[in-house]
Amino acid sequence: MSNKTTRREFVRKSAAVAAGAIVLPQIISSTALGMGGKASPSNRIVIATIGTGSQGSGNMREMMKLKGQFQFVALCDIDKKHLEAGKAMVDNDYKNKDCRVYGDYRELLAKEKLDAVSIALPDHWHGIIYTEAANHKLHVYGEKPICRTIKDGQTIVSAVKKNNIIWQTGSWQRSLFNFRRGAELAINGRAGKVKYIEVGLPDGGRGIGTPPVMDVPPELDWEMWLGPALRVPYRGVSHWNWRWILDYSGGQMTDWAGHHIDIANWGTGLEHTGPVEISGKGVYPAEGLYNAPVEYDLMCKYASGIEMRVANASRLPHKMGTTWYGDLGWVHVDRGNILTASDPKILKEVIGENEIQLYKSDNHYQNFIDCIRSGKQAIAPIEVAYRAISVALLGEIAMTTGQTIKWDPEKEVIIDNPRASRLLSRPYRQPWTLPTV
Amino acid sequence: MKKQYLLIIVLACLLPFFHGCKKETGYKTLIITGQNNHDWQASSPVLKTILDETGMFSCEIMTTPEKGGDMTIFDPDFSLYKLVILDYNGDSWSDKTNTAFFDYVKNGGGVVIYHAANNAFPGWKEYNEMTGLGGWGDRTEKDGPYVYYMRDSLVIDNSPGRGGNHGKRREFLVRTRIMDHPVTQGLPARWMHGNDELYSELRGPAKNMQILATAFADSAAGGGTMRDEPMLMTITYEKGRIFHTAMGHADKDGGPAMQCSGFIVTLQRGAEWAVTGNVTQKVPFDFPDASGVVLRRDFREITFEEALENIKTYDVGKSTKNLVCIQHHITNLSGDEKGLLEAEKTMVGVLLSTNASVEAKKLLLRELSWMGTDYSVNALKDLVNNNDLKDEAQFALQRLQAGK
Repeated sequence: MSNKTTRREFVRKSAAVAAGAIVLPQIISSTALGMGGKASPSNRIVIATIGTGSQGSGNMREMMKLKGQFQFVALCDIDKKHLEAGKAMVDNDYKNKDCRVYGDYRELLAKEKLDAVSIALPDHWHGIIYTEAANHKLHVYGEKPICRTIKDGQTIVSAVKKNNIIWQTGSWQRSLFNFRRGAELAINGRAGKVKYIEVGLPDGGRGIGTPPVMDVPPELDWEMWLGPALRVPYRGVSHWNWRWILDYSGGQMTDWAGHHIDIANWGTGLEHTGPVEISGKGVYPAEGLYNAPVEYDLMCKYASGIEMRVANASRLPHKMGTTWYGDLGWVHVDRGNILTASDPKILKEVIGENEIQLYKSDNHYQNFIDCIRSGKQAIAPIEVAYRAISVALLGEIAMTTGQTIKWDPEKEVIIDNPRASRLLSRPYRQPWTLPTV
Repeated sequence: MKKQYLLIIVLACLLPFFHGCKKETGYKTLIITGQNNHDWQASSPVLKTILDETGMFSCEIMTTPEKGGDMTIFDPDFSLYKLVILDYNGDSWSDKTNTAFFDYVKNGGGVVIYHAANNAFPGWKEYNEMTGLGGWGDRTEKDGPYVYYMRDSLVIDNSPGRGGNHGKRREFLVRTRIMDHPVTQGLPARWMHGNDELYSELRGPAKNMQILATAFADSAAGGGTMRDEPMLMTITYEKGRIFHTAMGHADKDGGPAMQCSGFIVTLQRGAEWAVTGNVTQKVPFDFPDASGVVLRRDFREITFEEALENIKTYDVGKSTKNLVCIQHHITNLSGDEKGLLEAEKTMVGVLLSTNASVEAKKLLLRELSWMGTDYSVNALKDLVNNNDLKDEAQFALQRLQAGK
């Protein structure tokens, strides 16, 4: 552990020295750094990926595009095919065969000397592995939504804070111009004082009925895939499609909370608080294995009087994306570089020097590594990510119980509702437990 | 003594009256059929079953003379009814009947236009104003515009051409266009409909009409317009309210288009709206969504008690409908402590019974984990030693006892 801390501090110090315009290159030699035994610049971040499926390998690909800044040394996955593909990607890039592979994240964390980890897993694993990574004092690039339950989220937030690591959430929309610009217009009142926000997330998709129980493919460690979730027989659904099953995810609503709710919070100054009242209804599949809501419509009230509606896109006038409604008009942002307003003049507004300037990043992965070097907070830090997903998780509780939930965003407890409060956490299947911080 | 006998006799005479009380208080509804290019002998009884099931309507079916028959003998007294459902597409009625129907609607009578009833009476101006849109019967631009959605915008299209078309029968996605109308309030924005004819290119006067839902007539199925065609409409005509469903093509005994819970529920809600202008019915648990068609084989919703009985035989791979019904019931009970405790006790009963499957018990343990009380805690204690159920029992107990 002390070894890791030393290396982290070294990276930070040497970066600080470099930033101080001393031209001598800072070089360390480390056999852990690979690259054909060549010495590496000290500011190269030694990193591993846990979860090398589509999202994990996509993140890795983007990080490798930042030539020479990240050094991938090890990968972990419970699917051997994913591992092989990931290793091939890394080894091809580095033109060697050095990338080490693991089927158990605990072994990876114990054996590797790392600065950082990039983690992309089904949501039900986030609580354990994010907390473990922070407890190992590793910087983390972690996928949204950062937790499956409020309790998981609270634990991860305290682990990140206590261990003083750099955390970057995969809420990459923050690093795109149109989202930042839209949020900046909203927070500076260019549509007037914002009173109401609409957040449109995807409609739910088609079900698959209830497939029969089948043999687990030899490459898949199903027991480990399930981890803390209740044991169920394998029915051909694991990678990617886990997000339609409530044991592992909350469906589109929780999957996208870390994007458009996050942007909504950013442009309204709600990043460090939460709603005080949440009500909502969901449409749940009437048949089949997939049981996450395919439609949902939440109304969240904030202490300031602001209201936020979160619904599947088909229910909303602007469909997907975030729309801030002020007393003078509205501003809408969405993917595909969409930035529109009730009046085109709003979009030409200049934000003055004395107004709120939002954090600027043009590359989400570069921002992560820059912050590891500088020690500065990343653009999508942990508590902000927790506040975004907690809106959807509280909405999920409102939908499950059929009740209006009263939430104390300071104490982070549900008020006067023992049944709903039980849904803030989820017991882990033995032997798994949420790590202590 | 004599007085007592007399009382018993009086009460006995009244019994049938009380027994029939529920039906007597339902909105009197007349289903008109007897001629149709569709299987009206199959559809009309199903329409009656569907509406009677709500307990809000009491339906009778009246058939017209056969095609070419003497229509003057078809002379219903519309004033007896709150709702008239048209499952009719045939010979013109007598002028007297037309006038009576016109007066009924004008004075606030409710009407449901069902599927091919929008083919009927192409030459009767007032009828076409009541249906809003129609098809076939040589309808062309003279009868009014095509009305549809194109890329989320309502289009009134006066271009010339035939009225009425449909491609091959198939399951299709229905999109709710007005979410806050009493008929559609609480329904999904998108839901799958059972195998049906997707009517397209309907045209008509379209006055005072709202399109509540559409379906995309894609060209792959033939007859496709690549437009979102109107499926559910409401029309107001003077004081009358008309609900128009273009769906529900009948097979023998109804078939999937009529068994679709989306068709059934929108018909029930549309019928209530036509009578009162409001809808008090709750959206049932089995309303379909975009993930797939939901059929009701006998046209009615299963109850909580039935679902609990049915779930006893649940096994992996079987329908999850009973579980979804139970969850829905629990959500509806929110705030009703007594009701929740009753539900909990019944669920625990299944859990401890010997004739319920292990998989069924696992499902119930998950539900009890958050909605249960001490009653569940006491009942579950022994289950942690049950090899089949220990994970789920532990899960439930841990959650129930958390924070205590």
